[in-house]
Amino acid sequence: MPTKFSPFTIPESAGIGLRSPHIAEMLTRRPSAGWLEVHAENYMGDGAGVEALERLRQIYPLSVHGVGLSLGSAQGLDRDHLEKLRKVCERFQPDLVSEHLAWSVADGAYLNDLLPLRYDEEALAIVARNVETVQDALKRQVLIENLSAYLAFADSSMNEAEFLAELAARTGCGLLLDVNNVHVSAHNLQYDAKAFIDALPADAIGEIHLAGHATNRVGADTVLIDDHGSRVPPVVWTLYRHAIERLGPRPTLIEWDTDVPILDVLLGEAMWADMLTASIMFNRKQAARQSQPTEARSTPICLAVESETTTSMPVLAAFAAARCARPSMSAVLPSIEEEYHAAA
Amino acid sequence: MLPLEHLQTTMARSVLAMEPVVAANMLTAGKADPLARLRIYQNNTRSSLTAALMAVFPVTVRLVDERFFRFAASEFIRRHPPVESRLARYGAGFPRFLKAIDTLSDMPIVAETARLEWAIAEALDTASLPPRSLAEYNNTDLGLSPDILLQPSLRLIVSHWSILSVWMAHQQETAVDQNSIWARRPERVALWRSGNYVRLFLLDRASFAFWHSLKHGFGLEHATGRALALDPAFDLVSALVRLFRDRLVTNVRVAADSPSN
Repeated sequence: MPTKFSPFTIPESAGIGLRSPHIAEMLTRRPSAGWLEVHAENYMGDGAGVEALERLRQIYPLSVHGVGLSLGSAQGLDRDHLEKLRKVCERFQPDLVSEHLAWSVADGAYLNDLLPLRYDEEALAIVARNVETVQDALKRQVLIENLSAYLAFADSSMNEAEFLAELAARTGCGLLLDVNNVHVSAHNLQYDAKAFIDALPADAIGEIHLAGHATNRVGADTVLIDDHGSRVPPVVWTLYRHAIERLGPRPTLIEWDTDVPILDVLLGEAMWADMLTASIMFNRKQAARQSQPTEARSTPICLAVESETTTSMPVLAAFAAARCARPSMSAVLPSIEEEYHAAA
Repeated sequence: MLPLEHLQTTMARSVLAMEPVVAANMLTAGKADPLARLRIYQNNTRSSLTAALMAVFPVTVRLVDERFFRFAASEFIRRHPPVESRLARYGAGFPRFLKAIDTLSDMPIVAETARLEWAIAEALDTASLPPRSLAEYNNTDLGLSPDILLQPSLRLIVSHWSILSVWMAHQQETAVDQNSIWARRPERVALWRSGNYVRLFLLDRASFAFWHSLKHGFGLEHATGRALALDPAFDLVSALVRLFRDRLVTNVRVAADSPSN
């Protein structure tokens, strides 16, 4: 009989990926974190981590992120794995469930990596069928994440953004926009990262991922590796800013999977995401107010743009001041990052 | 143009075999060489699965040296890739694979220690049920030979080699004199999950037989008979008290008719 948890809603603020080195500290310290995300496959057994997550789920809103369902497999889904995912969702009652636009199973082998699809009508039909199967099994919408890729297929007839938009339209699935993945793929495959984000249906995007990546140079080729092993770099923050300006606030996750740092570093990155979002929404409000006639600004009327978000933080005044001092938000990023580093 | 399933099969073989089977003209990577980019997927698969095996078999890594372990893991991954995406289940066949490697034929302790480490990994992924106490059964008629159910994470391993001694010696970071702890000496090991950890004990022949019979559902009478056959001095009361004290008993119930229930 599954435990009945309070139905937390994931806020449109930043959360962190729960990693095993931090579980004990999360349980004892209970730090302020908007929400948690876990990899579904880590909680399909009955180890101590499962018991710990049941306790954390009583405190934090939860998102379950699958990495092994292989939605892009032409041979269809592994029904046993889907059943395990269903049981994880039944057990922990997450507010969000997500997976990847990728394949990792073929020829009877699981490759433990997320491989890109050939983006064409055949693949779209296969992925749409698989997504519908998952949504039927889980009785809920799932979010599908864009991929970080190192190569593409010459015979693709559409790009990944077009594929995701059509997938959302056909299946009613939501989208998980991984901003770091957009940057990594756009660099590696040489396309426009902002245009990719702009091509996605904004209403479908229910979550954003942020992470760091590595830069490898092999001969003349500079390739970005999506290793989730460092802080979110300035270029990804800039792209995140572009996304938030277009989408408004979204639940945003700090992912960190290799060389996992102390918990406070993750919490600091999450705080920075919240502050950046808050500053964007604050500026949007200011701009809306300034565009109003003088007499209208003096009356306390709730503007339509204000109702779009509940974001409100005491640091807004500081941001407004910083903005006056330095017109470019990206220009202040390095000093903030250094401060985090010293605190860590 | 290949059907998608055929394309994915070809790609998967390219990734696992660590050499390209897929034709370069099917791939693009901006201005970069697509086959060089394919090697990133090959490296990701090999290195992440090797890391998964190293996490499960840390003492085995130290026994054979990390470079040899990586070589063996790479071969294992190529020949026996995971068949499911739960990596907690990957590695069951690795001890047997090690046993078949010619280079290790004079070091049987390696595969045997790996067998112990796999049992530890299995136990850590298994439920820990609420333990029962003896006092709970004070007023219960359990018949002459009740069934005693033990923690599902309990694993019992018998080896001709001193696997627990080797494993224990490698729990510290200090250098280990391998020769002093390897011994052809039977060791019977019981292990089970206790919270975040695994408890490990050496058992004598009679206790091992007693625990083994209970674990496989043969009931108290059968288990006691096996133990007494191996050691006429087997102390049943002490054995029962120990099971409860170690929080291993999850239920005691009237035996079903069948002795193999």
